[in-house]
Amino acid sequence: MKTPNPLGAIGRARFPLGAPDWPSGVDRPPPERKVGLDYDHEWSRRYPARLLRAVMLDNVTRPLAQFVAPRTVRGDEYLRLLEAPVIFAANHASHLDTPLLLTTLPARFRHRTVVGAAADYFFDRRWKAALWSLSLAAIPIERARVNRRSAEIATDLLREGWNLVIFPEGGRSPDGWAQEFRGGAAYLSVRTGAPVVPVYIHGTRRILPKRDEAHPGGSGTENRGRPLRRAPVTVVFGAPLGAADGEDARRFGARIERAVEVLAREVATDWWAARRSPQDAPGALRGPDAVAWRRAWALGPPAELERANAWPDVRLARVTARRRARRG
Amino acid sequence: MSPRPGFVLEVDGSTPPTLFWDGEGFTLERLPEGSRIIYAPEPLDALKDPVGAIRHALAHPIGDSEPLAALLRPGMRLTICFDDVSLPLPPMERPDVRQMVIEEVLDLAAAAGVDDVVLVAALALHRRMTEAELRHALGDRIYEAFAPHGLLTQHDAEDPENLVHLGRTAEGEDVEINRRAAESDLIVYVNISLVAMDGGHKSVATGLASYRSLRHHHNPHTMRHSRSFMHAPSSELHSSNWRMGRLIKESGVKVFQIETTLNTDTFPSQFAFLQRREWEWTLKDRVTYAATAKALDTVPAKLSRQVFHSIRAPHAMTSVQAGEVEATHELALASVWRQQGVVVEGQSDILTMGLPYICPYNVNSIMNPILVACLGLGYFFNMYRGKPLVRPGGVLIMQHPTRPDFNPAYHPSYIDFYEQVLSETTDPNEMHKLFEESFATDPWYVHLYRTGHAYHGVHPFYMWYWCAHALEHLGRVIVLGGDPGAVRRMGFSPASTMADALEMAKDVVGPSPSLTHLHTPPILMADVQ
Amino acid sequence: MKALVFERSMPRMAASRLASQLGSGRGTRVAPLRLVETDPPPCPGDDWHLVTPSLSGICGSDLATIDGRSSWYFEPLVSFPFTPGHEVVGVLGADGSAADGSALRAGARVVIQPVLGCRARRIDPPCPSCATGRTGDCENTAFGHLSPGIQTGFCADTGGGWSAAGLVAHESQLYAVPEKLSDADAVTIEPLACALHGVLGSPITEDDVVAVLGAGTLGLATVAAITHLSGRGLIASPRVTLTGARYAHQRALAREFGASAALSPEHLSAAVRRHSRSMALRGPSGARLTGGADVVFDCVGSSESIEASLEIVRPRGTVVLIGMPGRANVDLAPLWHRELRLAGAYAYGTESVRGTDRPTFELAIEAVAAMGTGRLVSATYPLERFEEAVAHAGAAGRRGSVKIAFDLRATHRGGRR
Repeated sequence: MKTPNPLGAIGRARFPLGAPDWPSGVDRPPPERKVGLDYDHEWSRRYPARLLRAVMLDNVTRPLAQFVAPRTVRGDEYLRLLEAPVIFAANHASHLDTPLLLTTLPARFRHRTVVGAAADYFFDRRWKAALWSLSLAAIPIERARVNRRSAEIATDLLREGWNLVIFPEGGRSPDGWAQEFRGGAAYLSVRTGAPVVPVYIHGTRRILPKRDEAHPGGSGTENRGRPLRRAPVTVVFGAPLGAADGEDARRFGARIERAVEVLAREVATDWWAARRSPQDAPGALRGPDAVAWRRAWALGPPAELERANAWPDVRLARVTARRRARRG
Repeated sequence: MSPRPGFVLEVDGSTPPTLFWDGEGFTLERLPEGSRIIYAPEPLDALKDPVGAIRHALAHPIGDSEPLAALLRPGMRLTICFDDVSLPLPPMERPDVRQMVIEEVLDLAAAAGVDDVVLVAALALHRRMTEAELRHALGDRIYEAFAPHGLLTQHDAEDPENLVHLGRTAEGEDVEINRRAAESDLIVYVNISLVAMDGGHKSVATGLASYRSLRHHHNPHTMRHSRSFMHAPSSELHSSNWRMGRLIKESGVKVFQIETTLNTDTFPSQFAFLQRREWEWTLKDRVTYAATAKALDTVPAKLSRQVFHSIRAPHAMTSVQAGEVEATHELALASVWRQQGVVVEGQSDILTMGLPYICPYNVNSIMNPILVACLGLGYFFNMYRGKPLVRPGGVLIMQHPTRPDFNPAYHPSYIDFYEQVLSETTDPNEMHKLFEESFATDPWYVHLYRTGHAYHGVHPFYMWYWCAHALEHLGRVIVLGGDPGAVRRMGFSPASTMADALEMAKDVVGPSPSLTHLHTPPILMADVQ
Repeated sequence: MKALVFERSMPRMAASRLASQLGSGRGTRVAPLRLVETDPPPCPGDDWHLVTPSLSGICGSDLATIDGRSSWYFEPLVSFPFTPGHEVVGVLGADGSAADGSALRAGARVVIQPVLGCRARRIDPPCPSCATGRTGDCENTAFGHLSPGIQTGFCADTGGGWSAAGLVAHESQLYAVPEKLSDADAVTIEPLACALHGVLGSPITEDDVVAVLGAGTLGLATVAAITHLSGRGLIASPRVTLTGARYAHQRALAREFGASAALSPEHLSAAVRRHSRSMALRGPSGARLTGGADVVFDCVGSSESIEASLEIVRPRGTVVLIGMPGRANVDLAPLWHRELRLAGAYAYGTESVRGTDRPTFELAIEAVAAMGTGRLVSATYPLERFEEAVAHAGAAGRRGSVKIAFDLRATHRGGRR
């Protein structure tokens, strides 16, 4: 049975209530498709949208993120000493990174930060573009290369005093290790003078990894195939960086990557050890230069949430006992 | 607008009532016409780039010292000592200056390949810091990197294994300090000079010392001859520390001193009115004052204490200097004076003050009556250079509820001091003779100091000695709004209203007395001429 | 002549017990205590004499009796109806002789040693205790030609101190009061004798830490006894004597009587800990000491005070109960584990002091003269106002007083108030 549809009723109503008919003598222009880099997202930084986003970030996204990904934050105390605009350059392993990072920022930054998002992925449909603009203040960025249009958008916003979250890898990690950093963050910093705060996010892949569509059941199943698996995460902020005199974007970009690498090492060991390990130590960020299984192996066991009622795992205990018996 | 200097206001008919702190609360009091009110200078501007300033200080040391980087080499023993939870007040917003400085020091040490690094909280006979306090002072990263390996230690003045006797000064003072520090190739001392008393040789010679060493300058005689202990040249306390510091240097212990100073930006924006001059209170300030005062009146003391102790001050660094101890300290002192100095003409018959909820020894805790006395008669009274703000034989009126409440975990010996010593005598010399030894060597206090978070058994005596100069100088001490039992136990007089207090004061100093009010915090140092 | 009489009435005892829950001494109106018109008790024999009380104190055990809190243990050792009052100074009615054999003239001031032992009960040969002078431990207080009664003031035949009519006392009970002592001094001889007995029986040695719990009449008398005896070299001098006293006036008196420190009871344990340089453990009732005082005198006798005493005494130390206890609920684990001695100290008799035997009362008379314990008497009442008097005694500490007594002097002179 069909339910009465009020919108349908309007649709059926005659002009001026209903839509006018197009006169047959006039050419119909091709419909404008303002998506991707051309998407007009300015509305998302104006009042109603901004207020709605702030309310959502603080009251919905933040508690949700806190529940799914209980976090340890390090180095955030230094953010107090910074003035907007700031570019936050983070490694990228999961869709969760953006809401996590946004909700970790102090309120002073949180509500005045835009997020660089892949134009071809997040802005390919109007509804998707609108959704991400509204909920996360996303702006479209061309990920393949430094695109003039996307650079202009970001530069203008930085100059207006907006902070920017950017993932210089250009996309989520396919295997848990970071990919090469691209020059976007460094380029924007050099152009605007905004400092770059390196950020390392650890553990989001255990919650919501990038799925390998080509090999279902292969890479990207760290969350054991569940839509979301709760796990602890760590967000580490580094000291702000600025391009040195005469340093170009490429070299500065490499320095940003090294800074994130030190943060990654800090998570793997501790702050002091990270400082003392040699510069050419095996990559904590990019992983060992080896075959896929060894790279996967090097990721280590997943971090588990401590459960309040942690019964001993009987099966595991039995296996260990058996092994011991065999050895003995 | 650049910060305005402090000044002395003369009260006339148009002067609004004056803010008096009252422990976990405050009141507005109208002072008699002709009274003087000393206002602190406004907070100085913060250093634009504190981390950059620290790096610069480490690379450009003061006095006879090489840059820190040049003092670091692989294979050396490096000990980084830092001031404990008693500084700054209130605890500052993150990042604490100690964290900022030590991270830079460690960065240099890492770059130089130094492996043997130990951090020591230089707490002398203070209580050990809790994990949360250490994390706050040093940051989580340093805590997590050093604490699990036992490399973040707290000075233990009662561990004979970990003390070394370096010798005696010409005056016969024992110098006994932390063994790890003394046997290191380099001590880096990270200090916060919140007031003019802090820093210099006092950092190592007091912060890392044992009771055997401290008793030479923490005694009634020294404190009576420190006028004031906030002004090193006239302070016997400092002379003694300087002798010890020089002996430490001569015995081959190398100290690289890093002194930082903070501005007096003491209260966060919701309490902004506390550091504004009353006639400049905006509508918002007045509303906040009324609402806060009312709320504090109605909630239980425990809750208001919690509210106040959760305050984190927006203190910002005004200077950082490093290098040789004495030269560095000189510079730091200049910065302290630049922030806190106020010139005052002459003494008065009566000095009034409102005492806040916090002093160096009750961070995250209760301000017990002994600490009330110490804050008023020890610290605030001594915030002068030249001569005291009140004439000899004058009267001090201080406002504080002075409830006989104690924190049994932090201040166990204070309870016994209050019940068993103050009930016998309030004379610093007499208690020094009769009781100090037995408290200092009491095995239970030693146990609590070493394994818990208790101040050392002898600490309440030091608090009382801190008052010795004021007790000798003053004709009477009146505690406005204080618990009568506790106030009388300490040998002071309780008064319930300002008018009563002034009448009582007149009995001592005569009719139509002159009156000065010390409007603090924010902290100020009176240069009395 | 008027006298107060305590009768055996179960419903009234129950009622007063109930009323005393509101506070000691509050149940006098319903207690079986009445003011009656009576004649002096008949003399049981030639060696008995009439004594007309001048002052007669209200003791803790009297209060317990009136409150109905007294232990049932004493049930066979008293006889009803009796006139209470065993702290008595009075005037001798006829010529006689004192306990030490000296002659006493009629009208002499005497103080009564109230224990009714074998001699008073005409039992010969006396019990082993009385034979050695330890009259307090007499085994025959329910036998002989007198009705049962451990002391004057609990016996139906002798009368008691709370009487204007007078009481009869055996010669062995009489001690002359020296001229220099006032009546107030003399009325404190009996409690001071109790304290002396307890202190002399305790193992105080040189350099000990001694604690006294409670600073009512007995507690203060104990402090005075320690000071007096150690001052004369009759016992070893303890290093410190610490007193737990709830009220400020008690603390001041304790200091006057020579306590090294007087503290409110909740701080006593801390002071004992500090002076004995012991450690502390967290126990169910607060801090429990690992060491503690060498000797503790419990001058309260409640479950709480006994428990507190056991927590502040050192291993193998001694707790002396000077205050009268009753049924108590006490954890005895520390007694067992720390091998403590829990000793009672009742009344008086003969004390062996530095090798010589002396009656406790003689020592007490000297001590009262030396220490001036008469100042403990805070208020006196005529018999007619006995309800007020008992209520005052029940709340003595809270009302800033120590010893409350009945003043019967006005009545002897024939006047009425």
